[in-house]
Amino acid sequence: MDILLFVISIVLFSSVFIFLGYLGYKKTKTAEDYFVAGRTMGPLVIAFSYGATFISAVALIGFSGIASVYGHSILWLAFLNIFVGIFIAFVFYGFRTRKMGLSLKAMTLPELLGNRFNSVKLQQVSGLIIGVFMVAYTSAVFLAISSLFQVTFGIPYWICVVIFTLIVGVYLIVGGLYAVMWTHAVQGIVMLIGMIILTVGIYAMLGGIGPAHEAAAGLTTEMLKSIGSPAATQAPNGLTSMPPFLSQPFMMVLTLIFGVGIGVLAQPQLIVRYLTAKNEKALRLAIPYGGIFILIMTFTAFSIGPLCNVLMYQNNIMYPTKLVAGVVTANPDAVIPTIINALFPTWFILIFLFAILAAAMSTAAALFHTAGAAIGRDVYEKSVKKKFSPEKSIFITRIATFAIVIATLIITLNPFDVVAYMTAFFFGLMACTFLAPYTLMLYWKKTNRTGVWIGMLGGFLFTMAWYILIYFKTAPKIIGAPLIGNYIINMLDPIFIGLPLSFLLTILFSIIMKQDKEEETIMKKSFENI
Amino acid sequence: MDLIIGMDLGVFIAWIGTLLAAILCVLYGLYYQFIKKSDEKKRPAKSKRQDKKHKEDR
Repeated sequence: MDILLFVISIVLFSSVFIFLGYLGYKKTKTAEDYFVAGRTMGPLVIAFSYGATFISAVALIGFSGIASVYGHSILWLAFLNIFVGIFIAFVFYGFRTRKMGLSLKAMTLPELLGNRFNSVKLQQVSGLIIGVFMVAYTSAVFLAISSLFQVTFGIPYWICVVIFTLIVGVYLIVGGLYAVMWTHAVQGIVMLIGMIILTVGIYAMLGGIGPAHEAAAGLTTEMLKSIGSPAATQAPNGLTSMPPFLSQPFMMVLTLIFGVGIGVLAQPQLIVRYLTAKNEKALRLAIPYGGIFILIMTFTAFSIGPLCNVLMYQNNIMYPTKLVAGVVTANPDAVIPTIINALFPTWFILIFLFAILAAAMSTAAALFHTAGAAIGRDVYEKSVKKKFSPEKSIFITRIATFAIVIATLIITLNPFDVVAYMTAFFFGLMACTFLAPYTLMLYWKKTNRTGVWIGMLGGFLFTMAWYILIYFKTAPKIIGAPLIGNYIINMLDPIFIGLPLSFLLTILFSIIMKQDKEEETIMKKSFENI
Repeated sequence: MDLIIGMDLGVFIAWIGTLLAAILCVLYGLYYQFIKKSDEKKRPAKSKRQDKKHKEDR
């Protein structure tokens, strides 16, 4: 594709974001403005910001690719993305989080935990966990999008990394959460346009929903083998059927569905969106917008993935491959780009690339903001035992965010294995560490500081140990082979054990250790408006 | 095995469930927009009690 076209488009694209960053800067006067957009956001912006943060480039391209391997069974994840990720998240977590956040004057998840349980250390440790792992996760987001642009436009990887990181860094640091959320609204629209055209295009090429699914169901193992598709072995019952119960593909789908589908409830970058709502009605009305946004993003992405096999078979396109340690292996991440490059017009390739870029930038901006707040506000400010003015607090977080942007840039330019592991850990780790304390904090008045500490650290340590010693994807690369050879165990996402364990520890130690007087007073205050 | 719109039962339930989950979100929004009174308009019970007490004092 023409590099001049790319340059013009990227300049126009980034100008809009920089302008919104400037508007955010003009509107940011207080710490509340910078951290939670002044708690003034309406339903549409909340929904788009939540959705654009939730859905990264990995979710669109990566999971479409995964769907091309395991078939339509991955649609269970789309169901959980909407039912749990939007409905349950907003109805059972959103309203209470907002009310408790107001009562306790909290602007981040660690601050909410710290204020609720009267523990600065709890806030600092939570902030540190979030800050460190988010840098790795953000780095992975930039790595994926820069690689895609390198392949499509032939622009050196390092130039893409520098350009994308700087654009996001500038509008985020300058404009705070106002800028992040407004740009999310614009990026969300670009993502919607890209995914709608792609989905309609693919279904139209295959004659509509029914014929497309029937064509996918009709692909035999031999047909899939002829195009080199891994679905030949990974979708043994066909692309539109569930894999056999407890088979390896079944376990793979199960671990993906629950790891991401339930893990979404405890993502700090999403939780902060509840705190930005101007009132409860804004959160309630964000639910339908959010539901439709996620439907158009994930339902379409997971539906078209398997259909790409049909298009490849009909058009004599081979399943994309890559070299891993000198061995040619299937490359699901390249499935959607391959289909678009081969079967769609040039104008759409550009739209789609910018939709993917928007997805990557929106997620990265939210992660940068949350990580910056975690390190600046939750860790640094709390370790310096003095009260900062709002201006000083914003300044500290801007510096922390700048440091995180630079750290991410360096890591993305020199990616090392640990980053890949930390990224793989991210969703499960956040869920197993924070979901139990966060849920019980909102619903159970007897939850206390000791319970939360032990539940949080227990979940964190268990998950780390599971990923390092047992999990089939990470353990072989870290210790050579998983300690447990049975695939039914080692393919399980840690969320299946780590989450109940974290709940159990939090409840058990909250019962054993009683709340002190101060904790009890704060608890009463935090439930005042609920 | 019989297929429904080209999908087996397990996949079809996920497919239709996704659409129904989205419809649930939309219905929830419509209900709170047009049928149920806004929570913000309701006055907290505590402040109503305070008003009553205030009137009695006067």
